[in-house]
Amino acid sequence: MAADSDPESEVFEITDFTTASEWERFVSRVEEVLNDWKLIGSSAGKSSPEKGEYTSGIWEEKSKDINFADFKFSITHHYLKQESDEGDGKEEPEEDAFPLAMQDLLCMNNDFPPRAHCLVRWYGMREFLVISPGANCEAIISESKCNLLLSSISISLANSGCQVPMFVQIQQKWRRMYAGECQGPGVRTDFEMVHLRKVPSQYNHLSGLLDIFKSKIGCSLTPLPPINIAIRFTYVLQDWQQYSWPQQPPDFDALLGGEVGGVEFGKLPFGACEDPISELHLATTWPHLTEGIVVDNDVYSDLDPLQAPHWSVRVRKAENPQCLLGDFLTEFFKLCCRKESTEEILGRGLAEEEGKENSDISAALSKLTEPAAVPIPKLSVSNMVHSARKRIRRHRRIDESPLSNEMLNSILLYLFPDAAVEKSSENSDSKTNDYPLLLPFPCVQNLFSHLKSAPSDSLSYRLALCVCLVNFYHGGVRAVAHLWQEFVLEMRYRWENNYLIYGWVRHRMLNCCIERKRARDEARKTTDGGKERERKVSGGCQNGRFGPESVPPATTASDSAREVGKSWESWSDSEDEFFECLSDQEEMEFPPTAGEKGGAKDVSKAKPEGRLHPHGNMTLINSGEPLYIPVTQEPAPMTEDLLEEQSEVLAKLGTSAEGAHLRARMQSACLLSDMESFKAANPGCVLEDFVRWYSPRDYVEEEVVDDKGNTVVKGELSARMKIPGNMWVEAWETARATPARRQRRLFDDTKEAEKVLHYLAVQKPADLTSHLLPCILHAAILKLKEEESVEDIPSVKKAIQQATSHASKVLHHPSPDYKKLELIAVETVIARARSLKAKFGIGKGEKGEDAEELEKFVSSLLEEPEVAVTGAGRGPAGSIIHRLFVSAQRIHLIHFGEHSDEAALLAPLDDDLGRVGGAEDRKPMGGGINVPDFPPPAGREILLRTCVPRPAPYSKALPQRLFCVLMRDEFRLAGAFSSDTSFF
Amino acid sequence: MDEDVLTTLKLLIIGESGVGKSSLLLRFTDDTFDPDQSATIGVDFKVKTISIDGNKAKLAIWDTAGQERFRTLTPSYYRGAQGVILVYDVTKRDTFTKLENWLNELETYTTRNDIVKMLVGNKIDQDNREVDRNEGLKFARKHSMLFIEASAKTKDGVECAFEELVEKILQTPGLWESDTQGQKVRLVDQQQHGGRACGGYCSIP
Repeated sequence: MAADSDPESEVFEITDFTTASEWERFVSRVEEVLNDWKLIGSSAGKSSPEKGEYTSGIWEEKSKDINFADFKFSITHHYLKQESDEGDGKEEPEEDAFPLAMQDLLCMNNDFPPRAHCLVRWYGMREFLVISPGANCEAIISESKCNLLLSSISISLANSGCQVPMFVQIQQKWRRMYAGECQGPGVRTDFEMVHLRKVPSQYNHLSGLLDIFKSKIGCSLTPLPPINIAIRFTYVLQDWQQYSWPQQPPDFDALLGGEVGGVEFGKLPFGACEDPISELHLATTWPHLTEGIVVDNDVYSDLDPLQAPHWSVRVRKAENPQCLLGDFLTEFFKLCCRKESTEEILGRGLAEEEGKENSDISAALSKLTEPAAVPIPKLSVSNMVHSARKRIRRHRRIDESPLSNEMLNSILLYLFPDAAVEKSSENSDSKTNDYPLLLPFPCVQNLFSHLKSAPSDSLSYRLALCVCLVNFYHGGVRAVAHLWQEFVLEMRYRWENNYLIYGWVRHRMLNCCIERKRARDEARKTTDGGKERERKVSGGCQNGRFGPESVPPATTASDSAREVGKSWESWSDSEDEFFECLSDQEEMEFPPTAGEKGGAKDVSKAKPEGRLHPHGNMTLINSGEPLYIPVTQEPAPMTEDLLEEQSEVLAKLGTSAEGAHLRARMQSACLLSDMESFKAANPGCVLEDFVRWYSPRDYVEEEVVDDKGNTVVKGELSARMKIPGNMWVEAWETARATPARRQRRLFDDTKEAEKVLHYLAVQKPADLTSHLLPCILHAAILKLKEEESVEDIPSVKKAIQQATSHASKVLHHPSPDYKKLELIAVETVIARARSLKAKFGIGKGEKGEDAEELEKFVSSLLEEPEVAVTGAGRGPAGSIIHRLFVSAQRIHLIHFGEHSDEAALLAPLDDDLGRVGGAEDRKPMGGGINVPDFPPPAGREILLRTCVPRPAPYSKALPQRLFCVLMRDEFRLAGAFSSDTSFF
Repeated sequence: MDEDVLTTLKLLIIGESGVGKSSLLLRFTDDTFDPDQSATIGVDFKVKTISIDGNKAKLAIWDTAGQERFRTLTPSYYRGAQGVILVYDVTKRDTFTKLENWLNELETYTTRNDIVKMLVGNKIDQDNREVDRNEGLKFARKHSMLFIEASAKTKDGVECAFEELVEKILQTPGLWESDTQGQKVRLVDQQQHGGRACGGYCSIP
């Protein structure tokens, strides 16, 4: 340390610190920290900070814990990160340049920074250290303790040569009392503070404060060097009344009444229910005054806010204002945490009955849908629901239904708009193919690429909105349960009556089932034209595998996952339904009887079946016949749930050889089916033929020269296909020549549909909401985007983007914490923007330049902590602010003033108030009818600076500063007084 | 789940049939080579825990069949994968030229766009090479992938391929999540004041 350079240190001497006192240890610890942080040595030489740099720059801090005996302190270094100009800085400083902090005391570039550490505001420093009691430690209150700490600091600074000012925090934390010191070569600055609850009347004005400052400096020079004065008064506006909050409350009546149409159900509400801007703070600043230019004493003041050269404004935002969208989402999230099942919520009887009477209900319903029985074109859902519900009602008192009939019908019509359309909708199957069964990354736009949801016109999406709405307005969880039950009922109805479900992404599976069932039903009805018919029907379900369009986005093997351990033969159990069982007799020539093994020998004479098209010019190895690609079964469609289930099953088989074998076997249903189709299409074929089509690289062709010297191409199976007993060979041997349409269906629509319906029926309301959560978040984000686009707030754009990617993270989390979704905050920001725009009269189509400037002003109010008002009280924004204050003052008077009669007589406000703010009504507290334009300032800050020699007239002239804060219940003087230590 | 495992990663192996995907995997997980490895049906699955820079990662590796017909099933297993090993056979040019198709497939079916891709040229022990190392390098560079040549038979490059891939995944922020705690990221710090900083008028009511 500093002592190292002493000549004595050259002498080898044992230094014993074992007997050091706690106090000495503390001092050395402080020095150690200063060393660690490299704060030793001259800090001078850096250029003075730019105007406004304290606000625009980045402040950093680092902390360390240090102990005084067993009392914990933390020492923190706060500093403004500056461009490193050390290159030229290091050389310049003169030997005895003032420390940086002392220079900063006088610098006027950063007075009253909008956002800064209080010490920065009071003392204008760009760098300092604070030692404060650790968390949960008591405050330093006794004077002797304070002094002990201060002397520790003094010693550490002197020992280390550190020029960064250091403070200790004394008294209770909330009082923000600091005392400190800064040392430089031959100079020292003491930082002292006074903090009182009330402003003493003799110091309640500039002249009193100047007196304190002068007496504290104690300078005997005459004339005294000029004192620089900066003043800021802050006025608070809380009363907005006349310019009240523009949000229209939602029209609850319309939602409750009979008007509930799809339009309302498709929308999420938006906006704050209370004013999200609670206060406006106007700071009027006189940045550069000298003594004598202004008068401010106990009887008179020149400080009229309207005349202040600088105005700046900040707004205070309401903490968590109640917002509609936020409330909606919160209630929806709460639903996700409910544990009850649907039956627990709606009562037993209803749910039991649902299972029993389903068929009954649907039978009744199908009557409704018979062409003759439909006199009204607009039918289905509502009527259907009516009759279904009548039955349910038998077991339930009418008043128990959380949702009214009317309500329910409107909701269902919104969900299933096709029910209102005439029944011609049956012909529009193609529409359902718009959405892939599984959305691999189902994004709506790029913005949402991380958020898994459904397209905004999908059924899931609409259902999500309905659930949200019903939950909020129409009876909470009971209503949701009720709606869900009706929804499942509709699903079953559609399955049984072959009505496709439009825009239903999540359970597209059900649609698949319906499609296939419908195809089968139609095939059954058709008695003639068997062949033609079959072609058409199977064309829909079967596919040539290698066509470019033939790869469905996400489908997977078979549903054989649940048939682990079944042997090859068991797949042909006779009770199975067959893929395409037409009652066509000639098709049954080779009935697939159980146990029969179709070998190549007996099929050779067989008639080929189920050919798609020839495979290039390829011919069969044995017969030379063209090789045909067969019509194959489409792999079973998989929903995400099924897929997850299946991959879990596959993974669970483990990594042993047996597990791998079993896994392959489970997935080989598709291979087997393809082999059977291939055999049927190519009588007399061998495995080599199949492989040439199916896995061409496993058929190795080589040019060889035969005995006669001719080059011939010889081919054989690859080594791995030749391994005896490998699964391909095994499957080939098992496969019988059966065309795809007669094979057992890889996909059993009835079973799958029942599974889906059952799955839906047992979902708890909480499950439902969890499933729909991505949709509702998606809807909320879309809503926010829509609202934002009107306001055009850059920070919100960014926040929405972040919220979007954040939402996906939350959703991927196993137990999502919905509180962490920041969507609600975005709504608040937009609501704030609206509120401010209304207050400043933006969007009323006013004239050009001013309006534009105002708009800029308002948007910076939202983004920045404090915004300067161009033209101060005379600019366009300034005059609006002035008007706001004046009207608030009048209202205040009417409500609370003693002169309410006179006040009530006040003429309506003129538009030319700018002129009214003359000197005569400037002084607040004017009595009678003369209402002051502004309330008394909520805070006054007065900054006094000078440079005078201290302590003696012949000492160096050094920076002196006093920062005074005067508020209703706080009076603070923060002084920095420098003195020359050379001869004292 | 093992206590000390940092994370579980899902890896995929894809590529044309017969390029040695299963052999590479077998070499990596069991350090063996089976000349009689039969053609994979559908997908296969293996697990291995490895340690990278002291961090243990459990790898769930899905090995897929390369046959075109199986391509209607296997993409379902692409979902949620953090890393993919794309294999070609250096002795068969067509397995190399088909790589573009595989990348397209990957693009279509993976659920994330920051998935880490590793290109492996297999079977370098054989003499009848048809694809030069530089071509592989060029391809990998074009598609921002990791690249290595390897031989499942002689062990060359196999372990390295998997390790590099995992290391890269671990270095990619946001790609993986710790098993022990869920990630909780705060969105925007709406709070304007830092802990200690305060404006001069904070205390105005």
